Amino acid sequence: MQVFTSVIVLAIFFMAYIFTDIRDYKERKVKSVTSLAHVIGINSVSTILFEDNEAAKDILAGLKNVAPEIVRADILDKHNNFFAGYLRPGAANPDTLLIKYLKEPVFKDTLLFVGDNIMNNDELIGRVSLVVELSELSALKKSKSEMAAILLIAALCISFLIALAVQPYISKRLLYLVNAIKRVGQTGNYDIPIIDNGKDEISVLVRTFNNLMKEVNESQQRKDEFIGIASHELKTPLTSIKGYLDLLNVMEDKEPNKQCVQKALESTHKLEKLIKDLLDVSKIQSGQLQLNISRFNMVELLDETIAAIQMVARTHSITREDDHEDQMISADKEKIEQVLINLLSNAVKYSAPESKVIVSSKNNGTELVIKIRDYGIGVPEDELNQIFGRFYRTKNSSVHISGLGLGLYICRDIILRHKGRIWAEKETKGSSFYFALPVGVYAEM
Amino acid sequence: MKKILVVDDDIDILTLVKMTLTLNGFETETLSRWEGIDNSIEKFNPDLILLDVSLGGADGREICRRLKSQDDTRDIPVILFSANIEMEKSLENCNAQAFISKPYDLNYFLQTINSNIRTA
Repeated sequence: MQVFTSVIVLAIFFMAYIFTDIRDYKERKVKSVTSLAHVIGINSVSTILFEDNEAAKDILAGLKNVAPEIVRADILDKHNNFFAGYLRPGAANPDTLLIKYLKEPVFKDTLLFVGDNIMNNDELIGRVSLVVELSELSALKKSKSEMAAILLIAALCISFLIALAVQPYISKRLLYLVNAIKRVGQTGNYDIPIIDNGKDEISVLVRTFNNLMKEVNESQQRKDEFIGIASHELKTPLTSIKGYLDLLNVMEDKEPNKQCVQKALESTHKLEKLIKDLLDVSKIQSGQLQLNISRFNMVELLDETIAAIQMVARTHSITREDDHEDQMISADKEKIEQVLINLLSNAVKYSAPESKVIVSSKNNGTELVIKIRDYGIGVPEDELNQIFGRFYRTKNSSVHISGLGLGLYICRDIILRHKGRIWAEKETKGSSFYFALPVGVYAEM
Repeated sequence: MKKILVVDDDIDILTLVKMTLTLNGFETETLSRWEGIDNSIEKFNPDLILLDVSLGGADGREICRRLKSQDDTRDIPVILFSANIEMEKSLENCNAQAFISKPYDLNYFLQTINSNIRTA
């Protein structure tokens, strides 16, 4: 782009240069030819007065040696009739009419027509007309254009070379900035300033970016602090509520009192889960969620989690449909359990009582893929990717299910931190949720 | 009757825990200010201490570490009690026996206390 701009500017500059040069040349030529015509006029006064054509012709013939570029020279009398003339041998005869009625210098093709009055004691007695061949003009035009073209190409090459040398320096810094922005976007870690020692616009950009990141970081920290304090403050009264309900639940045998207590307990569990999710998201956002990797048997974890969910979803039938007994994996057991609980709870939550939920696992050599198939309301095709977003709730207005829309977002973050994949697929009835964790050497990558 | 000392700066939690433990057959003493802990231990001689981590102005983990470094209190089991589940990670660091998060599950709460309480 810079190269293109400089070429345009240079071309305009050269064109102006050639144009003024040619104009100067023409002005000079008009001046010199006019003075020559003037001299001829003065010398021809007597020939006109004595009507001596021959003497006038001699004067004009002398031009052959003095000014060989003159193609034609004429002396006209005061009635504008040709009095004497000279035509350079071998030259084509120029426009006679133009000569006769010439008022001021005229350029026509490569010829210059100039006239001058012949005066005798302030009385007009005739006119001199000269036609000059401007053979130099085309040569001048050609040479100037050639020089301009050569200079233009040279300038183009130089500016290209300079751009080539400077570009990597600029591009490198810009790309570094872009990568830093991308990294911040992915990790949510705003605390690493970019170092740039330049003094140009890019370093201004970098400094502005650093300042912005600092502000974001500060507000992020304030938000995290707030969530930390808020969740602690929320948990303390919740502990009391839940604790007393637990005691009541043990003591109370009478219905409907017992049922009331149990309903209240269920809501308390939901509230507890919401607070936990909010805290998890705050940790994800601030990059504090860390994995505690250990080696464990995934099949055992699947069975334990299925049993736990089955306890609270008694009408659903949750089964594992594969015959594996051993699927060892290195991962954060607690976090993977959290993912399983989330996916299984969703499968139960979004399907009618008495429907099936099928869990299966498959090791394809590089990944251990866990599939959770439900026969519930399903996920619309266009929402399959969006459901893993933060605070995403299904647009399906026929269902209203409480929650903040954080569960799948947390699941995705946990799986991505394990360098795994998580996705959902639409089924004829219901949907399938998958997550895949790298195994063996792939887990080390 | 086994004796439990509960230290927490929240009166509501103290009342709840005292009631829960008393109903389950423990002799319970509560303390809302950490400054009196040495005095209480000396007088009450508990078989277990349930210690909140964020006590106003003090860190329960620090107190636990100090108790575990003193000859006369070293053998009293300590269970850390906190709303911040991250605190479970610092158990070993301060030689506490177990961790109970708030809000707690009643069965888990009693189970943890029974399995850690001093028997001899």
